[in-house]
Amino acid sequence: MRARWLLALLAFWVAGAIAGPPKLELEDLDGRVHRLADYRGKVVMVNFWATWCGPCREEMPSLERLRQALEGRPFVVLAVNVAEGGRVAGDYLKTMPHKFTVLLDRDGSLTKAWGARILPATYVLGPEGELRIRHVGALDWASPEAQQKIAALMP
Amino acid sequence: MDRRAFLTSSAASAAVVSLPWRIAHGRSGWRSFEITTRLDIQRPAGLSRAWIPLPMSGSLDWHRGQGNAWHGNAARAELMRDPKYGVEMLYVEWSASESAPYLELSSRFSTPVRDRSVDLSGPAGGAALSAAERKFFTAPTELIPTDGIVRETAEDIVKGNRGDVGKARAIYEWVVDNSFRDPKVRGCGWGDIKAMLETRNLGGKCGDLNALFVGLARAAGVPARDVYGIRVAPSAHGYKSLGTGSPVISKAQHCRAEFFAPGFGWVPVDPADVRKVVLEEPPGNLPMDDGKVEAARKRLFGSWEMNWLAYNMGHDISLPGSRGPQLPYLMYPNAETGGDRLDQLDPDSFKYVITVRELKA
Repeated sequence: MRARWLLALLAFWVAGAIAGPPKLELEDLDGRVHRLADYRGKVVMVNFWATWCGPCREEMPSLERLRQALEGRPFVVLAVNVAEGGRVAGDYLKTMPHKFTVLLDRDGSLTKAWGARILPATYVLGPEGELRIRHVGALDWASPEAQQKIAALMP
Repeated sequence: MDRRAFLTSSAASAAVVSLPWRIAHGRSGWRSFEITTRLDIQRPAGLSRAWIPLPMSGSLDWHRGQGNAWHGNAARAELMRDPKYGVEMLYVEWSASESAPYLELSSRFSTPVRDRSVDLSGPAGGAALSAAERKFFTAPTELIPTDGIVRETAEDIVKGNRGDVGKARAIYEWVVDNSFRDPKVRGCGWGDIKAMLETRNLGGKCGDLNALFVGLARAAGVPARDVYGIRVAPSAHGYKSLGTGSPVISKAQHCRAEFFAPGFGWVPVDPADVRKVVLEEPPGNLPMDDGKVEAARKRLFGSWEMNWLAYNMGHDISLPGSRGPQLPYLMYPNAETGGDRLDQLDPDSFKYVITVRELKA
């Protein structure tokens, strides 16, 4: 599985910055609004997921392991739940220990604007908000290769 | 509350309303059922709403809706209809002060004892679609596009096949040969066929595999549609995997598909159930040349066993009064409390229980 994930990772890695992502302004599970601008200066991973998506559920623990591995460094994970609402997302996350930020795209419109048609979809933005990595499908984000790539984006 | 009291008291209270029961069809050759959905909003957080799919209300040669009735502590309940596809649902609303919102909806319907079958080798009649109907049933939906990879795949599949029946047959066989039932998919799958084709992962359940048939057929110019419903009885054909043996059917939702054959009308198909037989029919993981698989594959192009209730044929459903996302289809009860959707695929935490009983004449 690890080898297959790595191949997928390389296949979707973006060399250099590409067109900027759409805006992001969403509430978290406690109703606090988050914007991309809040995280300027940090590498931001935006992961679109849903509870019904099996690959998303498989991938999610690796997001938390990645967050733990990079704790204290300028890096943040924003896990955007797609069109399920706080009740469904919150109930699921009780079974999935995590400290990353979970946001709610209640009507799915932001997900559509980002072009995340296939879940999970992950976007990694550089410190200036530029899009550096785009990946469709599940990946072991805690793998040394992925950590190295993300760390290389840090200021 | 006994049944008689339930029916007769319905009109007396604003919070207890009945929709008219129709006279039961006593004709031999039909079976009648009552399906009941008991819905409880867990941990209500303000205003609560629910949308529950209703059986098709019309009469067809394979389905007769007989009416619906409900009781509970809702402040409002109203039969609503999606304007595009005619999807019927019971809309329910509870006030924020209701601490334990609940509702019990019962619906009666009849289905023929015999399979719904269309003999495509027999003489054709005069069944035809108007140009507008043909356009409607070859149109894309949000998750079932008919351009790009879907069209390219469809054109490749139907190459060399002439006529709508030949094209539909080729697509049916292709879906059966190339897809698989993925037991890890929650519910019935949402039918994002473009994603399935792009990722080359043709695994899923009925909502995926039969949507794939419908999308490919539409892309090839053959009118087709999904039909969303729920299994209500065991299979009389001896297939354990194609029926329900329990009166509790909360997770027995199943969608099927149809295509339109000029001269014959709407033709029932169900390639997803062929793949269900392959995976689930005991002892499981059957080879494609197993007799049970071959028989199902032959039977499910042109017929459905009517141990199943049809709810509707709608796509891209916006729930009236909700600010939440539109649904690819309405086959499960849906609800919101405090503006948050509940998990329609998790009846135990929602919660809802769907039961069925056959009505004896």
